[in-house]
Amino acid sequence: MGAVSPAGNNLAELSSALRQAESSLRTLSLFSAPVPLPVGEISEEPKEEDLPRTHRLATVAAEEALHNSGAEPDAIVLGGTTGGMLTTEERLRGKQHDPSSFPWHGLITVANHLARTFNCSGPVINVSTACSSSTLAIKIAFDMLRAGRGRRILAGGADSLCRLTYHGFRLLQLVDPQGAKPFDRDRQGMSVGEGAAMLLLVAEDSPPAEAVAEIVGGGLSCDAFHATTPHPQGRGASGSMRAAMEDAGISEADIDYINLHGTGTPDGDLSEARALSRLFGPHVPHASSVKGMLGHSLGAAGAMETIISALSIADGFIPANTGCNNPDKDMGWVPCLSPMRKDTHSVLTSSFGFGGNNASLVLQGKEGDKKHPTTKGLSSLTVKGTACLTGGGDLKQSLGLVGKGRACKGLLSDQEISTQLEPATVRRMKRLPRMALSLAKSARNDAQASSGPEAVFWGTGWGPLSETHDFLNKLEQTGDQLSSAMDFIGAVHNAPAGNLGTYFQAEGPNITTTAGDYSFEQALYTACLLSDQLKEDFLVLAAEEYQQSFSPLFDSSLQADPTPSDGGGALWVTAAEDRRHPKIMPPFLAFPTESSSVIPRLIQSLGGPERIREEIGAIFLGIPGQFRSSAREQLQEFLTITEFQGPMVDYRLWTGEFASASVVAAVLAVQLVREGNIPAPLTYGGEDLPLRDRGILLLGLGEHVTATRITP
Amino acid sequence: MESLLQELKEKIVSTLNLTEVSPEDIDDNEQLVGGRLGVDSIDVLELVIMLERDYSIKIEDREVGSMVFANLKNLADYVAANKPESSN
Repeated sequence: MGAVSPAGNNLAELSSALRQAESSLRTLSLFSAPVPLPVGEISEEPKEEDLPRTHRLATVAAEEALHNSGAEPDAIVLGGTTGGMLTTEERLRGKQHDPSSFPWHGLITVANHLARTFNCSGPVINVSTACSSSTLAIKIAFDMLRAGRGRRILAGGADSLCRLTYHGFRLLQLVDPQGAKPFDRDRQGMSVGEGAAMLLLVAEDSPPAEAVAEIVGGGLSCDAFHATTPHPQGRGASGSMRAAMEDAGISEADIDYINLHGTGTPDGDLSEARALSRLFGPHVPHASSVKGMLGHSLGAAGAMETIISALSIADGFIPANTGCNNPDKDMGWVPCLSPMRKDTHSVLTSSFGFGGNNASLVLQGKEGDKKHPTTKGLSSLTVKGTACLTGGGDLKQSLGLVGKGRACKGLLSDQEISTQLEPATVRRMKRLPRMALSLAKSARNDAQASSGPEAVFWGTGWGPLSETHDFLNKLEQTGDQLSSAMDFIGAVHNAPAGNLGTYFQAEGPNITTTAGDYSFEQALYTACLLSDQLKEDFLVLAAEEYQQSFSPLFDSSLQADPTPSDGGGALWVTAAEDRRHPKIMPPFLAFPTESSSVIPRLIQSLGGPERIREEIGAIFLGIPGQFRSSAREQLQEFLTITEFQGPMVDYRLWTGEFASASVVAAVLAVQLVREGNIPAPLTYGGEDLPLRDRGILLLGLGEHVTATRITP
Repeated sequence: MESLLQELKEKIVSTLNLTEVSPEDIDDNEQLVGGRLGVDSIDVLELVIMLERDYSIKIEDREVGSMVFANLKNLADYVAANKPESSN
């Protein structure tokens, strides 16, 4: 494990601070603000690298976690909400308008940097579900290990302080000007913080000597209630906790310690307290929140608290709920007010994010003889309905254009995107959340579904840029005094997915993956990974919006095509078999490093060259403009080994350049597989190509490499 | 007071993007928060920010907020009573 926090730059300092239980909150000094408030700020030693703060913190924590550990990780799964935002804010204010000044803005760049630094060529996955991000990342890594998708996975999260979050929470009136006092009768709110926390998770037949603790269960849920207010009775929160305990095969009575989310907000703490009473009745175990000591490090909090839970087990002690002097009597129980020595064998830890994204984990001591049943692994999904939006219109219109050899690039107007949407429902939504809702409704109609979805898996490379831009703009214009609360809430990457959860009352997992041009594939991957926990139909979707100031700055691929374009797609799917519909297979994910090509592994994952030639009728190539040269090399290697002769479609020439273009390709491919035919303009042969029971392969090339098959 | 009421109605409609509502439709005494307009806690925050930005009035107390945003009349009365003399 490795941790950088306001309590210290390594694990030993964190551990020592927990025993002393003194608050590490200090007045903001990282950047100027009209009213500096108490925050969880890290005292970082000055570094010379040209990396943003989040990336530097993540690297230090990862170094500590991987120190002395031998082989490289098989995969990396991170959670985060800010990425390079602090640097982006400074450069925007410095009036830098050059795309080359923003190479580290995207959330995935943190994970990419760790992959390069520590030589990981397996899946490099990034999730962004606000405050629950890194708990979710750990849960995903845990499920990957149980599914046999690697034996060593680096999982965790990192977020730095930045103006967006510091002022955003302040304007939501969720910040305590005196510093967070979780569960205190006089609590006024949270203290924003920063941190980086990384865990090396390994799957072995018996615990390695240096193991600290064992993850034995995880659970996810969605409140489906409101964008920022948690369910007042804590329904979603108790849902994820219960799911985690069931997954671990234990009951409430087995829990020795609960590490609480406890941010210090009046409603949030009360909701969590009610959830605990629902689950544990009058016998709530020892419980504490560390956010009165460290602040709320947003995307890093879940992993930080998982580390603290592991320390609690390994060292036999329970941390105090620093900051609470007069426990709120409405809660019905009292948190641990001072640190205590206790043999702790089973610990429950939870994180509850904006949009009602809830994630919980159960950890136990490594001496336990927990046997994890090997899970089914990643499942294929049956595609019952689809939808897409491009500059050319909806699925029918887009396919009509492409089928005649015409591009469907460009931008629909905001009105055109909103045609199916009720004005009262979308009045607070800007472009991206409207696209997401429109896609979800269309896919549901296409599937002729009358209920559901149970869960939402959402991918977006850049998130809601309109809201992000407008929030930062108003903030700067008012000298950091004011901005829009609605824009802040709407700016988190998972906000569109949270809206879908509330709109459809989808109480199952609500996942957001942000991985640049590979966001859709990662949403699909997590869907395939978690689908055995779902009983009903669910949604996998992705979309991107073109925002005229930010898109050209952040996404260098846009330089390859002068036509501003955006769009997205949605697939209404189920894990159940249904031969009437096409299937989409779990994607192969990899990260090419200098030392290893991933193409041979990719070909092997598809069954080898001969099977590829027999079973694939056409290949849709996802080649982001900024990665053309590496993509060409990868494609060349693929063709040399497989000797594939069929048609290949460089689909960004049709859709335009935007990060989620691959979902449009997937939806078009599903339609063509249904029709059993590739139209002439796509085959280069001048004639239609009957698929004859063959499928279509989507290859994603460039900085990441992905392969997704769609089969009849 | 009439012009202030009208001005506030216009600001509510535009701040909250109530595209289906015209300012004249809002009754001075109808319930704002939780009423037929669908105004919720996020909208209240937005209106608090609007008051600070446009009238230099700060609302930091939840109870004061509940009273001020209960209906248009309360809001107009509070603004008239609390805005600094220099703003128009």
